[in-house]
Amino acid sequence: MHFTRRTLALAPAAIALSLALPALAQAQDYAPSGITAFVAAGAGGGTDNFARTVQPMLEERLGIKMTIINLPAASGALAHQRTAQSAPDGESIEFASSTLITSRAAGQNPIGLDQLTPVARMQSDVLTLVVNTEKYDTLEDFLTYARDNPGQIVIGGTHAASVDRMAFLGLNEMTGLDLAYIPYDNEGSASANLLSGNIDGMFNEISAIQGYMESGKMKPILALADERLAAYPDLPTTVENGWDLTFGNERGVFINAETPPETIAAIEAVFEDIFKSEDYQVYARKANLDVRPGWLGSADYRVVLEENLAYFEKLLASE
Amino acid sequence: MIEDLIGGFGVVMQPVNLLILASAVLIGFVGGALPGISGVILVVILLPVTYTMEPTGAFMLLTAIYASSVFSGLITAILYRAPGTPEAVMTALDGYPMTQKGEAGKALGVGILSSAVGGMFGTVVLILATPLLADIALQFSSPEFFALAVLGLTVVASLGGNLLLGLIGVCIGLMIASVGLDPLTGTTRFTFGSLHLMSGVNLIPVIIGLFAISEVLKRCQEGDIHLTGNKKFSIRIFDWPVIRQIRGTVARSSILGTAIGILPGIGASTAAMVAYSETVRWSKDRKRFGRGAPEGVAAPEAANNAAAMGALVPLFALGIPGSGTTAIILGAFIVHGLTPGPTFMSGNSDLIYAVFVGLLIVNVLILVFSKPFIAILSKLLDVPYSVLGPIIVICCIVGTYSVQNAMMDVWLMLGFGLAGFLLEKIGFPLVAIILGVVLGPIAESELRRSLAMSRGDLAIFWERPISAILLGIAILLVTMTVVVPILRRRRARKATTRDS
Repeated sequence: MHFTRRTLALAPAAIALSLALPALAQAQDYAPSGITAFVAAGAGGGTDNFARTVQPMLEERLGIKMTIINLPAASGALAHQRTAQSAPDGESIEFASSTLITSRAAGQNPIGLDQLTPVARMQSDVLTLVVNTEKYDTLEDFLTYARDNPGQIVIGGTHAASVDRMAFLGLNEMTGLDLAYIPYDNEGSASANLLSGNIDGMFNEISAIQGYMESGKMKPILALADERLAAYPDLPTTVENGWDLTFGNERGVFINAETPPETIAAIEAVFEDIFKSEDYQVYARKANLDVRPGWLGSADYRVVLEENLAYFEKLLASE
Repeated sequence: MIEDLIGGFGVVMQPVNLLILASAVLIGFVGGALPGISGVILVVILLPVTYTMEPTGAFMLLTAIYASSVFSGLITAILYRAPGTPEAVMTALDGYPMTQKGEAGKALGVGILSSAVGGMFGTVVLILATPLLADIALQFSSPEFFALAVLGLTVVASLGGNLLLGLIGVCIGLMIASVGLDPLTGTTRFTFGSLHLMSGVNLIPVIIGLFAISEVLKRCQEGDIHLTGNKKFSIRIFDWPVIRQIRGTVARSSILGTAIGILPGIGASTAAMVAYSETVRWSKDRKRFGRGAPEGVAAPEAANNAAAMGALVPLFALGIPGSGTTAIILGAFIVHGLTPGPTFMSGNSDLIYAVFVGLLIVNVLILVFSKPFIAILSKLLDVPYSVLGPIIVICCIVGTYSVQNAMMDVWLMLGFGLAGFLLEKIGFPLVAIILGVVLGPIAESELRRSLAMSRGDLAIFWERPISAILLGIAILLVTMTVVVPILRRRRARKATTRDS
């Protein structure tokens, strides 16, 4: 964007206008010649699927090409770095998950929210504590057994710096229980160990356990949520038990923090339009990502991320 | 089940589905033959294409690409010692020496036949026993995986050559494997502050560097020659004397490969390694291996294709992926609105049996298509090495870069290439390093997970029957390889003293 004296003089007015009519006013200003999308995860995973689903929708709306580059190395830290170092012109965006802040809290990611800013949150998967139905039937069963056998209950999850581990640490802290945690390389290994009874429970997203719930071999006994989920009215939540844990795996779009606010607002408007579209909602429904509303705008998402980051740092420090 | 299979057959025989299968095989061939482009990447690239297809066609496409890419890694492994996929590393060990001896056609024939037999065996097991086997596979947890990795590492003793160098090689491999984030605590290890090294050293740069690049470097010294010694080669797949020679190996490796493939989290690369080492271990004449033994090609190829099919067992029966590529196929199921899990098979038998029949046909198509495909590829052998060598290097660089879109991997690969070149000069067994890199992380993290499960009690390894048996075999094999030569030498010495 070229600034002349006149546009500078008009800037206050433009900002005022943009506050009044966010989507409309800036959609005309924001005309990228193409978009490079860094994906902070390997090809084929949930974040990659998200980016590739959104790709044609974004291309259609902006009339340009979006190129996807997967940068899975270092838990996505390289993707964060590339995005933070890209030109702040709105032509480089990043698709990332909550790993951005869990790895940041664990000291694995040098790029903080001062260099990378959220554009929008599109998915907010509900994290649940899942157990083998042969061992436990209800949350009460689990808690009673855990209280009677301190240090004997093993919970599985994916990776050492993940929302699964944060949920484990948080649950230990809030309940005063003495649970142990084993991180697996992938969700499948943890599920296999839970199915065979080698571990007592695992943290997993509600979108990923549908098949097991249908078969009755595993069931969620606790959801990290404010209130009961409409689709699972019988599933107890953390908050109703007095444990303030509501985070889960979230997926969203990020950008270089130096990008002009109006550009960010314009991109946010495009993603909001995508989020509300029938195509996107069909995908979210199919992938069970609509259990909890996903949408958060740039400012709200930043607040959530900062809160969670501070909490994760506290959890890891006290461990 | 018979009705389901006939139903599946009917679905597959629709022209559009046959077309899907044939094109999938060709795509898999091309991708598998390019070093660095693995089945994972192909499946991911085609995933968006399948969004608009109906699920049956989509999953026939994805599974067929998966099966054929595992197969075609052998071509460049045999012809240029540049394994097209990690699964084909072991194939290069004897396949490439065969090419050097002017037996490229024979090596390819053995590889194609073994792959097809292994693949079909794996598919038949998949069709007949999926639910049953998946439950058995679940008995494998951390202690069993640890024992399996230890058993795999003892292979170094039977690989032949200098045992000391082999052990050093495994240790180098283990050291390479320890770079990156600690799998249990997330602490960084040996990353020297580099973000790139945080996720560890990827297997592909190690394999391509040690095998492909080092070979190109070696060739540079030997002047401009033709790889096959200007001999025209023809591939004979059904060569009866050779089949008689390899049939036992193929049978054993197919069974081993399927069994290992079924275990969640362990893929076709490990299966190929174990099958190769068992073949060497049971062979009467170990010295032939590494110098162009057809069994050395048959074993890993039968095993890796069988394992690729075996890895689908826990995916279909339990919704648990058995390998990297199947994890992505699992993701594809979810995108198509299917819910993999223990009830998946009963709820979607139409789709699953169509995919099963599709896989059987894919293995036949591999037999049919492979000859013309290799004929085109082998035309490259007529190109002088001064031209071909640089092309191989470029393919290696592009392939390695594409794995993580990281230039660091390319530098690592070139570094490993130089290291491999120098190490081979002193007769160092490069495969020992690969053994350490592949099995090291499994051994380490599963050992620690086992101890976390038992809260530090080592008894977990002998209280669980499967791990106790596997570890027992490992200990037995190591003592045998160490003790037997000593006894033999002592006896020989006694005999000579008595004679004099």
